Amino acid sequence: MSTLLSQEYGVENIVKSFGGAKALSGVSLSVKSGEVHCIAGENGSGKSTLIKIMSGVHAPDTGLIRLGDKSFSHLSPREAVREGVQVIFQDFSLLSNLTVAENIAIPTYISKNSRFFSKSETKKIAGNALDLIGVDLDINATVADISIASKQLIAIARATNLGVKMLFMDEPTTALTRKEIKHLFSVVEQLKLRGVAVVFVSHKIDEVQEICNTITILRNGEVVADGMMADFKRDAISEAMTGLNISETHIAPPLKITHKKVIQVKNLITKPTFSNISFSIAPGEILGITGLLGSGRTELAEAIFGQYPIDSGEIVVDDKPIKLNSSSAALRAGIGYVPPDRLTQGLFLEQSILRNLVAVGIDQYQSKGKFLSKKRLSEAGEKWIKDLRIKTKNPTNPVTSLSGGNQQRVVLAKWLAMNPKLMILNGPTVGVDIGSKREILEFIRDRAEEGMGFLVVSDDIPELVQICHRVLVIKNGQISKEFDELELDEEVLYGELS
Amino acid sequence: MDFKKLLLRNETALIVAIVLLSVIIGAKSPEFFTLANLFDILRSSFVQLLFALGVLVVIISGGIDVSFPVVGIFSGYSAVVLMKHFEWNPGNILLPIAIAIGIGIALGALNSIAIASFGIPTLIATLGTSGIFRGVMLTFIGSSFISDIPLALDKFATADLLKIQPLEGTLARLHVLIIPIVLITILVSLMLNRTMFGRSVYALGGGVEATRRLGISIKRTQAKVYMFVGGISGLAGILYVSLQRKANPYDLYGSELDIIAAVVLGGASIMGGYGTVFGTVLGVLLISLIKGNLILLGVSGSWQRAAIGALLLIGITVQAINESRKAKSRRVSTRDEVAQ
Amino acid sequence: MNERFKKINSGLLADRKVTQLMAITAATFIIFSVISRDIFFSSANFTSMAYQIPEIAILSIAVMLSMLTGGIDLSIVSVSNAAALVAAWIMTNKMGDSDTLSTSWILIACIAGILVGLAAGAVNSIIIARLDVTPILATLATGTLFNGIAIGLTDGVSISGLPEQFMRVGNGTLLGIPTPFVLMVAIALVVGLFINRTTLGLKVFLVGTNRQAAQYSVMGDRRVIAWIYLISALLSSLAGLIIASRTSAASPDFGSSYILLAIVVVVLGGVNPNGGFGTITGVILATAVLQMVSSGFNALRFSQFFYLAAQGAVLVFVMILNVVLERRRVSRSISRSLRS
Repeated sequence: MSTLLSQEYGVENIVKSFGGAKALSGVSLSVKSGEVHCIAGENGSGKSTLIKIMSGVHAPDTGLIRLGDKSFSHLSPREAVREGVQVIFQDFSLLSNLTVAENIAIPTYISKNSRFFSKSETKKIAGNALDLIGVDLDINATVADISIASKQLIAIARATNLGVKMLFMDEPTTALTRKEIKHLFSVVEQLKLRGVAVVFVSHKIDEVQEICNTITILRNGEVVADGMMADFKRDAISEAMTGLNISETHIAPPLKITHKKVIQVKNLITKPTFSNISFSIAPGEILGITGLLGSGRTELAEAIFGQYPIDSGEIVVDDKPIKLNSSSAALRAGIGYVPPDRLTQGLFLEQSILRNLVAVGIDQYQSKGKFLSKKRLSEAGEKWIKDLRIKTKNPTNPVTSLSGGNQQRVVLAKWLAMNPKLMILNGPTVGVDIGSKREILEFIRDRAEEGMGFLVVSDDIPELVQICHRVLVIKNGQISKEFDELELDEEVLYGELS
Repeated sequence: MDFKKLLLRNETALIVAIVLLSVIIGAKSPEFFTLANLFDILRSSFVQLLFALGVLVVIISGGIDVSFPVVGIFSGYSAVVLMKHFEWNPGNILLPIAIAIGIGIALGALNSIAIASFGIPTLIATLGTSGIFRGVMLTFIGSSFISDIPLALDKFATADLLKIQPLEGTLARLHVLIIPIVLITILVSLMLNRTMFGRSVYALGGGVEATRRLGISIKRTQAKVYMFVGGISGLAGILYVSLQRKANPYDLYGSELDIIAAVVLGGASIMGGYGTVFGTVLGVLLISLIKGNLILLGVSGSWQRAAIGALLLIGITVQAINESRKAKSRRVSTRDEVAQ
Repeated sequence: MNERFKKINSGLLADRKVTQLMAITAATFIIFSVISRDIFFSSANFTSMAYQIPEIAILSIAVMLSMLTGGIDLSIVSVSNAAALVAAWIMTNKMGDSDTLSTSWILIACIAGILVGLAAGAVNSIIIARLDVTPILATLATGTLFNGIAIGLTDGVSISGLPEQFMRVGNGTLLGIPTPFVLMVAIALVVGLFINRTTLGLKVFLVGTNRQAAQYSVMGDRRVIAWIYLISALLSSLAGLIIASRTSAASPDFGSSYILLAIVVVVLGGVNPNGGFGTITGVILATAVLQMVSSGFNALRFSQFFYLAAQGAVLVFVMILNVVLERRRVSRSISRSLRS
């Protein structure tokens, strides 16, 4: 059925920097028609940048993009689509104010350069696309009102509809159930038969191993290994991705024996996000929570920080029951939170490092006259820059001048400065270089040794294995399994997740 | 589905408000329900509706334009000045209309350079350009009141489609503009719903990044939006001059509030991505009702602005409350499917 | 030694915009003094500028504060007129036939005006901070409402003939310096101390830079925004009283062009319209620049509409300049990193 000659699609020697930080240094890869390729890498390895370059969102500083027998120094989004390159981004790029049908059909109109827009034609296009992937959705629904899983499917329908030649899927399986993943793979098989080059960008090796033919592994913006998927063992892949041989570096400090609990959570329920959540954390204990995207893990973490509503259940901090209906209540109870997206949630990018460091505890830097004590502010700044080894020459520089790892330390310091009893960290080392990652985990360990409790929410299994005393796995809003320190093992954790 | 229901609620609320207001006014002064008065309300809404349609498109795209009344009067006034200067006195109004629309589009293009090419926030950009346009007009084009406008324009003011003389009372005159205005309204609605440009406008209001990734040119869409509102404002301006039978460069200044109020009350969200022509028509009707007929209720005209301000305030407050309620319910419903 | 040098250096660099503004102020002064040696460069002109700058500066500071939080207060002129009208009404009613009024009554009238202004500000605060309505739309609506109420209550007629002692504030001197100017400096110092040296002030900058991060940093972002709109209303009321004192009148429609002027001043003064950055010094300097342009144009016999066009042009030009410079800065840092 395939009439497409075997073409190759890829890049050659791509270099890309963002304001001083190198995202990609000389990356080359190529995918053949009908091949399913995996680009594996941790967050921060450069894979997102690579996709954006191939789809025309960014232009590379140097290097070539090869699509079939054409070469480009850069692409515009429209050109990329015209040349057959489609990307399904993690955020799906859907327009929530338009209907499902319109979201699926609009790219078809754009590619045909049509001026006019017919409702019936739109519904037909959308219906066909959904049939292609065997999904049944209300095409008249407004996208704002439908679930995450359905949005994913719409994005896929939209992309497969367009005569695509090279399809990128950025972490496609994170929000899908087992059944939907199987669905996805069957569609991918169809695309293979039709000669489409499919690229899965993922760090969930287990999920993609069964579907991918070839693999490229990125780390810190460079290709560290590539070849046939069959030639790579799982361990080799994760080692190449992280550069660490994980099993020897479990660094959680020994727990002091105590009956005291920093926090006790009893039967937390917020329908339909999570239910029957009960756990406790002792002083100095590091509890990990993991689960697929959409499992409710982030909402749970934010609920304990007062940023997400709690329908029922009890929370006891230091033997005192509290009502966590706001983040100020959480702060007062001694709970801190490092949010997952430091750029939009954790940092004030254009402000100075110093201002970022004091952002939570501003009120405590008052001097006698109710004025801000500049002296106390700069002293605090110096202390935290030293304690967390933040690499900067001048605390009044904007925080954008720091690398990702140092920026994350700033967010961490901001909360450590409040000396919380319980620190909740959501994705603490996302997009952070290996060195910083190590150091951040060590800071956590040091504070835990001093008695601070930690709740680490993460989908980075190796990291959880490194630092946690216990790990809870959340599935569909409920705790599915608890792993003790001795039971912590990556294979088993990955297994429990899928 | 949810927002459609909401939109429907918004438009039904408007219809209810209009009907209620009409009943109240009519009860107090039965002359409200005469054909003459109703035709008059229509006549006074024409120019407003044209402006409002332009503003609607801008607001759907996620922006705001406060320069449109100035663009309108600039185009209308300049067209008249030009025609008098060159002593053009054609028999019909096509020439002044073409000139005014052309000037309007040109001014709109200036707006789009500031907004589309340089990415200046829309409120500030259009606030600036409105100052520039008004200043340039009153300094260089003229600041005098012109009462002897070209004949064709003047005669057009009384070009009535229907003249109905009731047994008692004033002559009811339905202006011929009703036909082109209805046509334009339908065309704008078609443009918004049946052309890629229209869908691009909604897309832009829905999310800049997602729109860009679809391959839609943000700059080109924005440029077209601001040239569109410029052109339609130019048309509104010249028609205003004609209906008023004078060209006064100080007119229309400050009327942006009424129009924006009409569009927002009509259901367009200031955040962008939502809004319908039907809602805007209802909004304009409601505002016209208030402006023209408060007096019939015994309320002095000085309270017009307060009434519009209060309505707008109530409208946006209700919208905001609904928004937050919607966000909460959405959180609940979208989680359902994942928890299988 | 090195520490001191570093501090001075970083202080200057941080205030690069202020130093640029000082240069612009000096340049404007020199240009107009040279072009219009007798009219512009005269003590009469400088004195008159010293009386007119304060009200604009105070209004601009109000806009700056709301802009720092990432919003904007478009109701400043309506609030300012409202405060002035309340005070004027009380004063003229208590004056009766005489020209004078006891100081205590004047004070009571002023306080009443300020309280009404604060009430208006409270409406803004509730709608923006509690109900999450976008500031542009919210203050557009409240501004219209307040203006409408003022027009309704006064029938559009201004209140004049204010007591002599009151007029002395707006037209007199304190130690040789015009009193309003002294008031302005005092207000500028207090507000400057507020945003630069208090915890609430620092929070204002952070909330304006990234509202979401401010929420995650638990700094009471809603309270910060609520306070800012209250303070903005307070400043607007003070400006209104100064205007009333200077012109010996209060009217519902005074200063409708001031909102554009205030925004031009604020943008020229280096305030980032997206929030998070701005200095009082910059705003004061920018006010001076614009006032010099106004009186300079006046001296050169340019029409006031030319000044209007110039305001718009300055606004658009400065915004475009900001965008161009930012793009150049980004591309330079990219090429620098490529080389390294």
